Amino acid sequence: MRTSLFIVIILLSGCSAGIVHGLVNLAIVEPYLDRAIGIENQHMFASGEAKDTPQFWVEYYSYRAWQKGGQLLAGAILGTSIGALYGIVFGYARNILPGNSFIKKTLVLAAIMWVVLYLIPFAKYPSNPPTVGDPETIILRQTLYVLFIAISGFGALGFYQVYKRLKSRKMIAFIGYAGLMGMAFALMPQNPDAITAPMDLINGFRAVSLVGVSSFWLSVGLILGVLWQKLQPDKVKQSKFQ
Amino acid sequence: MSFSKEITLSKSSVPKVALLVLATIFAFGVFEVGFDQGQLFSIVFGEQAYADMYLHELTHDMRHAAGFPCH
Ligand SMILES: [Zn+2]
Repeated sequence: MRTSLFIVIILLSGCSAGIVHGLVNLAIVEPYLDRAIGIENQHMFASGEAKDTPQFWVEYYSYRAWQKGGQLLAGAILGTSIGALYGIVFGYARNILPGNSFIKKTLVLAAIMWVVLYLIPFAKYPSNPPTVGDPETIILRQTLYVLFIAISGFGALGFYQVYKRLKSRKMIAFIGYAGLMGMAFALMPQNPDAITAPMDLINGFRAVSLVGVSSFWLSVGLILGVLWQKLQPDKVKQSKFQ
Repeated sequence: MSFSKEITLSKSSVPKVALLVLATIFAFGVFEVGFDQGQLFSIVFGEQAYADMYLHELTHDMRHAAGFPCH
């Protein structure tokens, strides 16, 4: 394996897919964020925490412009880092993943990681727009979220080992993973925060944020697949060593 | 003969250096976007960072959109 080429194409595909994610968010998630923060502003005016003055709106819009610009930067940072994990797993799994081309293999792995690390945790702890989360419970919510993803991720790795060792009835490994996640689903506490915002805002936000994250996994799979196919960092020239 | 064995090994394994670099990037990036409440900047700027939370504000929308817990 050519180490630097391997690292570079992984970081490049993660970063580009992250920028795609940021662009999708700018287009479809931001309107929901604006609406949610609008509700927060109304709460602040009502409680006297802030005053509905022109000065407030000037500050508000420059602050929101800063946050919106951040979507792309944050997309690049998050994409690069999640892409790094994805690349590590691909490095180990590329020979056992199904598919007769690297693009099929990268897409299969992206689909698996999308389900295990995102979709299943999302079903238990769905995303929420601003105004829902209580600052008092942030540590608890972060702990629950990480724990659930860790159970799903390590559970999938563990049951893959079972799958490998089973000579027949390999379905047992899938049933085992489903059983583990069912238990985690039932036993782990719910998000403690009560939702006071309108449900159409919450559900709309969840739908677009799901589309955004899915666009990342699809892009990272495609881009890494194309780059790997073209550059093949694991191909060693025999003549070099002879 | 022993040489050709080394070639097959290097073809199939993930280099340790790459593993280290990628794992570090993963940890820092996910922490920064998903969980940081000002800790990273406070290393450089001290306590003031907690009040300002520049990085947090800049990565805030993505934190919500990517499904991480927030406010
Ligand atoms: Zn927030």
